[in-house]
Parts: sequence; C-alpha cells; structure tokens
Amino acid sequence: MGLRIRLSKQTLAVLDALLGRAGQWQHGYSLSQSTGIPSGTLYPILMRLEKFHWLQTRWEEAKTPGKPPRHLYRLSGNARQWAREEIRAAQERHFWKPAGNEV
Amino acid sequence: MSVSSQANSTAARLARWLLGCAARHWPEENRAWGLALAAEIDETASAFETVRWSLGGIMLFTRSVLSSAWKWMKLPAGSSLSGGVNRPKGPSLLPKRSRVFTVAVLGAAALLLALPEGREAIRTVRASWHEYQQSDSDARTLEKLAARAEKEKDPSTLALVALSTGDPKRAEELTERAVALDPQLVWIYGSKNHSWPNFDSPKAEWLARLQAADPDDAVPYLLAADALDPLRTRPLYQRGIPKDAEFEVAEGDSKWLVLMEHAFGAPRYDSYFQRHYQLTRTVWNREKNLSPMIVFSGLRSHAIPSLQNLMFFAHVKIHEAQKARAAGDLSRAERLLGEVDAFGARMANGSEVKIEKVIGMVISQSADKKLADFYLSTGNAEDARRAASRVEQIDASFRALRPGYDSADHARAQTFRREGMLVQGFGTLAVLAGLAALAGVLMLELWPRKIRDTKPIWRRGACLAANYAPTVLLVACGVFLVSFLPFQRAFEAYRASTYSLLNEEELMDPMWGLMEIPRYVTGVNFAVSVWTIFTIALSTLLLFVLARGFYRMRRPVANPA
Repeated sequence: MGLRIRLSKQTLAVLDALLGRAGQWQHGYSLSQSTGIPSGTLYPILMRLEKFHWLQTRWEEAKTPGKPPRHLYRLSGNARQWAREEIRAAQERHFWKPAGNEV
Repeated sequence: MSVSSQANSTAARLARWLLGCAARHWPEENRAWGLALAAEIDETASAFETVRWSLGGIMLFTRSVLSSAWKWMKLPAGSSLSGGVNRPKGPSLLPKRSRVFTVAVLGAAALLLALPEGREAIRTVRASWHEYQQSDSDARTLEKLAARAEKEKDPSTLALVALSTGDPKRAEELTERAVALDPQLVWIYGSKNHSWPNFDSPKAEWLARLQAADPDDAVPYLLAADALDPLRTRPLYQRGIPKDAEFEVAEGDSKWLVLMEHAFGAPRYDSYFQRHYQLTRTVWNREKNLSPMIVFSGLRSHAIPSLQNLMFFAHVKIHEAQKARAAGDLSRAERLLGEVDAFGARMANGSEVKIEKVIGMVISQSADKKLADFYLSTGNAEDARRAASRVEQIDASFRALRPGYDSADHARAQTFRREGMLVQGFGTLAVLAGLAALAGVLMLELWPRKIRDTKPIWRRGACLAANYAPTVLLVACGVFLVSFLPFQRAFEAYRASTYSLLNEEELMDPMWGLMEIPRYVTGVNFAVSVWTIFTIALSTLLLFVLARGFYRMRRPVANPA
C-alpha cells in the first residue's frame, strides 16, 4: 500500500465492520450502529480511508422522493487484505479486540 | 419509537435544522461528506439518536471549517482554496507571503503599539502635530482628576487642573476651590495666562487679592497693569521704537502709571514660574500616567507679565529722565534712570525664566547706557566708569544666556531634535506602511477578480504592498518605539528631578525636539518644501524619460541583427 495511517481502536472497529460484509456497500448510519462510533468520529475515519483510496464510495439515489441521496462505502480490493492483516496484528498485540470478544 | 414520533420532537427538529444549516455552509473541499452525514439523519431511530448524530455532524463541521480556515490562512492574500477564479494564468500575480505571515506581522506591530510605551509614544507624537494642544481625552482625564481631587480635598491637584484646563469657567471654579482649601496657593490667581489662546483679562478681584497677599512682588501689579489694556503696547513696537508723542499719551494714563510705578518700586520680581514647576512635578509624580501634553500645556500657558509693557514703561521713564535732564533737573533724571536700572536688575536676578532675565537685562542695560552718558556729561567720571562696567557685565551675562551658548545644553537639544526626527520619520513611515498594507490586502481580498483583470501595474502594486508593507510596518513600529525611549526616559527623569526651574530644558528639549518635523511641515516653509519636492520629482521623471528614450534609440544601432 505504501502509505500508512495510525490505526486507532475506532479505525480498527470500522475496518472490522466493513470487512464483516466485505464487498457489500454499507451506509454511514449502519456502520455507526454496528461499531457504536458516533458520527463525529466515524466520518473523519471514513474520509481518511477514502483519501488513501482504501475506501470506495458511491451515491445511492433515495427511494422516497424529496429525500437526499445516501452515501455508500466498502473497502477496495487491496484494502481488504491489508485490513485483515492490521486487525490480526492489533489482536496479537492485545491492542484491540472485535466488539463480540470484548465481553 | 416511530420515525414520525421522533421527527415531532422539538429537540430532533432543532438538531435536523442545525445539521441542515451546517451542510449548506460546509466548506467546499469536503462538502460531499457533510451532505453524506446529513442525509443519514433520516435513518436515526430515536430523538436521542437524531440529536447525537446531529451533534457529531456539527462537531465535524466545526473541524472542517477550522481546518479549511487554516488552509486558507496558509495561502497568500487574494487566493482561494478552490484556486479557480483567483488563480492567475500567467506568472504569479499573487503575493508571496501567506496570510498567516501577514496576520502575524501585523499582530506583532499592533502589539508593539499597544505596549504602555507605544501608547505614550502615539499620544505624544500625535499631540506634537497639534502643537501640544490638549485633546478631548486629555480634557476628560483632567476632569476625572479634578473630580477625585475635589472628593479628596486635594488643593495641589485642583490647582494643577485649574492651571492646565482649557475650559475658562472650570478653571475659575477650580482656582477658587484650590485657594479656599490652601491659601498658600494664592499665586495661582496670577499664573494662568489669560491672553492665551484668547485675550481674556484675569479677574480684577483675583489680582487685588494677589497684591494684598504678596505686596512686595512686582508681578501682581504688572499683571493688573496688563489687564487694563492687554493690547496697549503691541502696535507701538510693531512700528519700531515708540515716538515721543506715544510716550506723552502713556504718561497721561494715571491708572496704568500708578500700577507700573508700584511694580518698578516693588522689592521683588517673581512670576511664580518656579512654584508652578514645583506643583507640576509634585502632581505628576503622584499621577504618573498623566499625559505629557497636560503638563506641557499647563506650563506653556503660565502667565508672565507683558514684556512689551515692561519695556514700554522703562522707555517712558528714560524719556521722562531725558526731559528732566533737558530741563536742568539732574537729580530727578539720575533718580529715574537709577529706578529703571534697579528694576531691570531685580527682574534679571529674581526670575528664573530666560526670557524674563533677558528683558530685565535689556532694561537695566538701557538705563546704564543712559546713566554712563549722563555721568560723563556731568563730569562724574567714576560713576560713568561704573555704569559702563555694568553695561559690559550685562553683555557678558547675555552671551551666557544666549540659546545654544551652553554647549552641553545645545548638544542635548540637538540630540533630541535628531531623535525627534527619527521618531517622526518612522512614525510617518509606520502610518504609510499600515495604510499600504491595508489597501493592498483589502484590494486583493475584496476584489480579486477586478485586481486580476486590471492593469499589471495595479496588480503588482497590490502584491508589493501585501508582501512588504506589513514587514515595513513592523520594522517602522519597532524603530519608532526604540527611538521614542529617550523621550520617555526624559519625562521620567523630569518627574524624578529636584525642584529647580533651571533644568526646565529636561522636559522642554524633548518636547520641542518632537516638534521639529511638524513645525517644518505645518509652518511657513511647507509650501516651499512641497514645491521643492514637486520640482525634484518632475525633474527626475523627465531625466528618466529622456534616458529611456536615448537608450531605445541607441539599442538598434548596438544590435543591428
């Protein structure tokens, strides 16, 4: 990948959520729900991932007229492998655990 | 909770509205993310979630705005983050310095001027351009000082305000109050110059009280004589030495003659300048923040008797002596000349004001010359020699008093003049640089399109101003402040000095030194200097045009290919 960013626990959680449904497009609100990360923290993470081309984005036209279009996200092909490695490394360092394993 | 019920919640509605506003004003560079975040708010499951989502969005919006503002600040004036309309196609027509640099430099300059020394420098220099006339703010300061002094029953501060204020009615009230609190201050009745800036005679009642309180002093009688007709002698001396007929007219004015005779016969001459200085120092030491303008204008408006009036009366007496001598009444002639000589000597010895000393000497010397002549004609060689010797002594004293005779005083005055020119020069440069910086930056920021489409000379001018004027301003402010420090130290030294009028120059030299440039610019030489500069500028322009024309004519010859 060449470029590296500092991976916080929140970033790892977002990557984990995106990997959970790899290849599928997800909305920002559903990512927030699944990770428990508030919007003010989630979107800067998504913005950074997108800046490094690890995140693919697209707009989805609203099904109901008058509603604004929604933004969708998924990890790019290369990023998935990288994300898995980062998550595994973080788990090995005991830096981060997936939400299900924390309890 | 259903979507409709949560949508009805006031908090949720407010949160939606706020996020909508934020999305509309989201910085251009990442507005898509703002819209993406705002679009998700319709999916929130409860009013709490809506508010939480909205708060997160507003937080992100704030960060985006700050980050965008910082990026904008890092660009030069006149450029935008999008870089679209303002980005020039050709070579760079934007300033080299970033907005951060410009703001930091302008801020540093403002900080320098906001220091107490900077504020005092601005106040003093500004006042020097108005010949140290009191400003409205000085008047308010004096009024506050008077109010406090009245409350604390402080006669010396009341007296100082009375002598310094430009409001005649207030001065009258405060004078009465100060003397009522401390009768020793009765001298202030005769210390306010009522002929400056307008002719307004002091109250006869005050002068009478002063004469009663200090009957041995010549000055109260002289002031009372001046008050009879303040303009009496002015036209006489405008035409040179008064004529015999004019002496005859004056000799008929018995009221004036009585007062002048009293003055010439009084054992002392004291125009209370020394006491005024002492009072000023006492109060200035207590009120250290008092502006030098207040102090200066108070001292400058100190009353001294009309010197022309004094000279005229001396001439009247000498004229009378000549008439007595012609009539053969030699003893009367000798007595009259002796009285004039004695008064002149008392004035020269009693006063510590240079101009009064000089006038006293002039009066004494005039009488001595006549006495020497008188004694020679009567065959009294010894007295004639003594009178001639006094004339020579007075000549020597004159030379000692002549401005610039004392080399140390002269050097100090010259130093302050030079420093004053530095202060005024860099102060003016700071003002010009400040205006240029403001004009350059505002032109680039407010009308970037117009600047882009205008003639290159205007674009270059604006860029040059935005690039260099802030730095010039900072440097000019620094030098202005540093060159003002000797003046500030002089004021400080004056406040701390002992009470001696002879070191009045310690205060006056710096203050007059600061007026060197304003006096020249606003004085009679102004028109001459303007036309000189205009002529030099036009001549330089003409030379430049001629030289360029010559160069263009020569170039094809030099390079025929």
